[in-house]
Amino acid sequence: MSSFPPLCFHGCCASPPLFRMVSPAIALAFLPLLLTLLIRYRFYFVLFYRAVLLRVWRDCRTGLSREERCFQYVLTNATPGDPESILDGFDSWCTKKEFISHIGPKKGKILDRLLSEHSPLTVLELGAHCGYSTVRIARALPLGARLFSVEMDQKNAAIAEKVIRLAGFDEVELIVCPSDEVIPRLRADFDLEKLDFVFMDHWKKCYLPDLQMLEGSGLLGKGSMILADNVLFPGAPNFLRYIRRCGLYEWRVHRATLEYSKGIRDGMAELVYQGTK
Amino acid sequence: MDCEYNTSVLKTGEGCDTRNGKPTSGRKRRRRRESKKERKKDEGRGSRNAQHAVDSGERTEKERQRKRRKDREEKAEHVQSLDKSKVNSRDFAAKNKKNLKNEKTRSKGRSKRELEEGEAKQPQRKGCAKAEENEQDTCERAGKRKGKKKKHRKKVETSSEQESSEDGDKEGEGEDEEVEEEEEEVEKEVRPETLTPEELEKLKEAVDDKKKLIQALRGKPWPMKKKHSTLRESQEFLEKYEGALGKGKGRKLYAYKVMMNKKWMKFKRDFENFTTACIPWEMKIKEIESHFGSSVASYFIFLRWMYGINMILFGLTFGLVMVPEALMGRPYGSMPRKTVPRAEETNAMDFAVLWDFGGYAQYSVLFYGYYNSQRAIGWLKFRMPLSYFLVGVGTVAYSYMVVIRKMARNANETGGGDENSFNFSWKTFTSWDYLIGNPETADNKFASITTSFKEAILEEQESRKDDNIHLTRFLRVLANFLVLCCLAGSGYLIYFVVRRSQKFALEGFENHTWWERNEVNMVMSLLGMFCPMLFDVISALENYHPRVALQWQLGRIFALFLGNLYTFIIALMDEINLKRKEEDVVQFNMTMWEASLHNNTADNSTAPPLFTHPADVPRGPCWETMVGQEFVRLIISDTMTTYITLLIGDFLRAVLVRFLNYCWCWDLEAGFPSYSEFDVSGNVLGLIFNQGMIWMGAFYAPCLPALNVLRLHVSMYLQCWAVMCCNVPQERVFKASGSNNFYMAMLLVILFLSTLPAIYTIVTIPPSFDCGPFSGKARMFDVIQETLESDFPAWISKVFSYAANPGLVLPFMLLMVLAIYYLQSTSKSYKEANVELKKKLQMQNEENKKKNKRAALKAAMELEEARKAPSSRTAEQHYNPSHQHRRHDMADSRAGSFSSDQGKNGDDQAPFTDCRRSKPVKASASSRGRHANQGATAGYPAGHPRQSEPSRLQRVASTQRR
Repeated sequence: MSSFPPLCFHGCCASPPLFRMVSPAIALAFLPLLLTLLIRYRFYFVLFYRAVLLRVWRDCRTGLSREERCFQYVLTNATPGDPESILDGFDSWCTKKEFISHIGPKKGKILDRLLSEHSPLTVLELGAHCGYSTVRIARALPLGARLFSVEMDQKNAAIAEKVIRLAGFDEVELIVCPSDEVIPRLRADFDLEKLDFVFMDHWKKCYLPDLQMLEGSGLLGKGSMILADNVLFPGAPNFLRYIRRCGLYEWRVHRATLEYSKGIRDGMAELVYQGTK
Repeated sequence: MDCEYNTSVLKTGEGCDTRNGKPTSGRKRRRRRESKKERKKDEGRGSRNAQHAVDSGERTEKERQRKRRKDREEKAEHVQSLDKSKVNSRDFAAKNKKNLKNEKTRSKGRSKRELEEGEAKQPQRKGCAKAEENEQDTCERAGKRKGKKKKHRKKVETSSEQESSEDGDKEGEGEDEEVEEEEEEVEKEVRPETLTPEELEKLKEAVDDKKKLIQALRGKPWPMKKKHSTLRESQEFLEKYEGALGKGKGRKLYAYKVMMNKKWMKFKRDFENFTTACIPWEMKIKEIESHFGSSVASYFIFLRWMYGINMILFGLTFGLVMVPEALMGRPYGSMPRKTVPRAEETNAMDFAVLWDFGGYAQYSVLFYGYYNSQRAIGWLKFRMPLSYFLVGVGTVAYSYMVVIRKMARNANETGGGDENSFNFSWKTFTSWDYLIGNPETADNKFASITTSFKEAILEEQESRKDDNIHLTRFLRVLANFLVLCCLAGSGYLIYFVVRRSQKFALEGFENHTWWERNEVNMVMSLLGMFCPMLFDVISALENYHPRVALQWQLGRIFALFLGNLYTFIIALMDEINLKRKEEDVVQFNMTMWEASLHNNTADNSTAPPLFTHPADVPRGPCWETMVGQEFVRLIISDTMTTYITLLIGDFLRAVLVRFLNYCWCWDLEAGFPSYSEFDVSGNVLGLIFNQGMIWMGAFYAPCLPALNVLRLHVSMYLQCWAVMCCNVPQERVFKASGSNNFYMAMLLVILFLSTLPAIYTIVTIPPSFDCGPFSGKARMFDVIQETLESDFPAWISKVFSYAANPGLVLPFMLLMVLAIYYLQSTSKSYKEANVELKKKLQMQNEENKKKNKRAALKAAMELEEARKAPSSRTAEQHYNPSHQHRRHDMADSRAGSFSSDQGKNGDDQAPFTDCRRSKPVKASASSRGRHANQGATAGYPAGHPRQSEPSRLQRVASTQRR
């Protein structure tokens, strides 16, 4: 009770009207609520701190963007030509220093498994960001497979390019362009017949339009697999609703937690195209 | 036809009996008859079988033909006139076996002639009878007889009756009368030569076929569509032709009966639906149950139950206290206690005052102070104070009774299996909640089952490792510590607030804001709302199973609420003491005032007595009304908080989440705020404590039950709506079967704890001198004494005074304690006996299983043998003698042990195994493809001999057809 300003018990009205209106005891009764919210949503608060506050603070201090800092760390800590150590470098930076929304090691394992099960020959990645997932995919691909990676942001693409080359994957084609412009041109520009595997990890709002565009372009054949990350958090509800309804896919959601965080639930949607009926 | 065949067989049996010259009756006779029959059959078996083998080939074709013809002939049969004389039939009997049956049904004792007829019959029968079928027939009947023997002992042997009564059994539980009627039918039934027995036989066969099909339909590996269509077809067929099974006049009667039966069934079903529809909110709750699982539904069921109790409490207080006072008591304004005092008159009708239950609300039937101490009111001489007291006691007593009864009933329902021993099998077979009807909830349930499996496996692994247990323990202790801190903090806060409000009260409430005046209630409601949330969060540390977690949570919230409530009561007690001091002062002043009035009037005695308006009369503070008011305010503020939380916490949140989701950077629905879950524990406890407050305060504010009924009614609708519209199913849907009694136990504790202060105040504190029904008495319960003295004859009060003597009361109490002890020990011993019986049952089950297995093995072996044997005949010969031997044994055991369980079991088993034994032979003998069905029938549990009946009929029929 001492934390609250002393209240006028005797009808003196010197203190501001709010304190006259609500007594400290009533305010104190809200303390459990506050505590509850704090404890229940602690992961979100931590995430907010790491992904937003820390980032802004470091941006101001170093003058570098987050991705650049990350790349510097990886460059100093990883062995060139070894995708494994590069991935480890990313992971350790993201867990220890700051937060970048990669696919992360746990969900990455699901990705690896799916890739090794299907061994696709043509892979499209939407949203390369720093190249973490590109390296991850390229590592798991069979010989002779083609990987197209799409990144919208120029700076990020530059870093991704460096990371990919650092890992030693020269055959990866990095397309610097928004995904909704790339997809219609894919067939013509890269003479693609069919995409065996599509990995989506760009803007969550774009999942649905891009998926529909892929359907329209005819690049999806029967058995093509689409893997969409972060469908639960930050979440792509429209995308989920669509795949639930349209009936074109056999789908399931791999439940996991958000990358580099324990308490936030997330999921990856695995879709297998069944063809039009 | 089958009937005919049967009768002829039985006839022989009868014949033997009469030949022996010992017309015995009852079971013994029957048994002997059977055994003799067997022997006879065996003699004739060889020759019969030869024929049988030859015939079997043709028979199938014949049957097909017949089936085709059947429908045509059906009609013909219907048309045939059936009113021929009995004499005719008897004449005919010599040639037609059918009539033998008629004779037999008519009288058993009609011996000589029948015997002759039977003998004459014998050679004819040779061709068509099949011994093994006969056997099976008998064995099945033996099974059935067990169930029916009392009903129609004499008639068991007549198979036509049996069959018809069989039908009756199927349709309408086979009453005695029905059987009797059937018999009569048969007796009346007269068959002219014109009626071809084949038609009848085929019809019957078809009907039986259909019946059997309906029975076995469930187990068939068909798609649902096919099942449906088959079911409908066969039901139609049955409806059409079943009537034809009875004959002549009997047919109509039979058809009528069947129809009535169906109508009756339908009516019963409709009536059941109707009664379900009559249960209030049943459909609503079912819907919620299907969406949210039974734990949420259990809250609503509890709410409904509470509503029922409160309705009765309301009825009592309203009907026996409030209405009589309002109708027959003195009107408002006639007395000081029934009038708003002059000082308050100006704002007595203001909403703020009324909302606080002051002003006119305070001086009304709603509160204790309004009631007059007049002994009897109105032309009915209604004893108001007595009624008030008795209703107060009665409500509490009723509540105790209901709660305890409900608890006892719930305790019966719990199976009492140990939950720890077969963890995984329980999980596998019982984890699904069959009441779920919503895909999303089903998804959740599915996920929760999978996770629970994972967790259980992990737990199992960890329990072997057991290095993590220290961490868990530590976390649990930590959680409890945190909860305790929280409880202490909330208790201190309430204490602080109460003290402060007392200070305000001393200073006078007028100087303070509404917030400060209502601080106590507000803080109590807010703490009661938020602390459970905190507990919930803390309990995540403990990692309990949700059901256990729910109980912990309930216990904690219980402690919190109890603490709050008792702090409140202690504060109230202080206030009561204050008021009583004030009352003393007022009383002193009153005497002074009256004296002064008196002096004034005494001065001029000629003047009329001075009249003071009741509003001006000084009056005491009336602590009872104050207590009542406090409770009413508490209830109101509690209700308000609940509803506002519901609207803000659930509805507003849901609306925000739903509509902000279109323009937010993350998925609000699946992620951060999400929709709220229904908080079962908090709601249940809120309900329970609310009820506790009602029980506590109802004595001083008769309006409380009414308010509570209103509140419960509203919250039923509001919460149902809120649950369906803004909550999502819990992530871990679990069954709440065990928690119901936990609620009840808490309710009982609360009931006890809430009656304590009420009783304490009633017993120890003298009532106010100028308000309430007990004013002027030293104690409230003196009203009983008074009634005894003045309204009852003297001897009753004497008896009571003796009864109240400690010398009598103490032994009585001792006796009661002894009785309780005795009952408890007997119940314990019963429990033990139950456990023993359970064990025994289990053992018996195992034994039966073994027996069945052995029998099945034997049957299988015999089947093998039969297959290996070159001809069916040899197989039969090889196996028959032993069979007969068995039959003897069986009959003996049946005769010996009807009452014992074991005996029955044996009885059931014997026909069961017998049937199976006879089957293979038959199958090999006649390749008609029907044995598959028969196998299915034989596969029914041994306890239902009835079900094997159709197969018997059918088989017999088929024999006859040759």
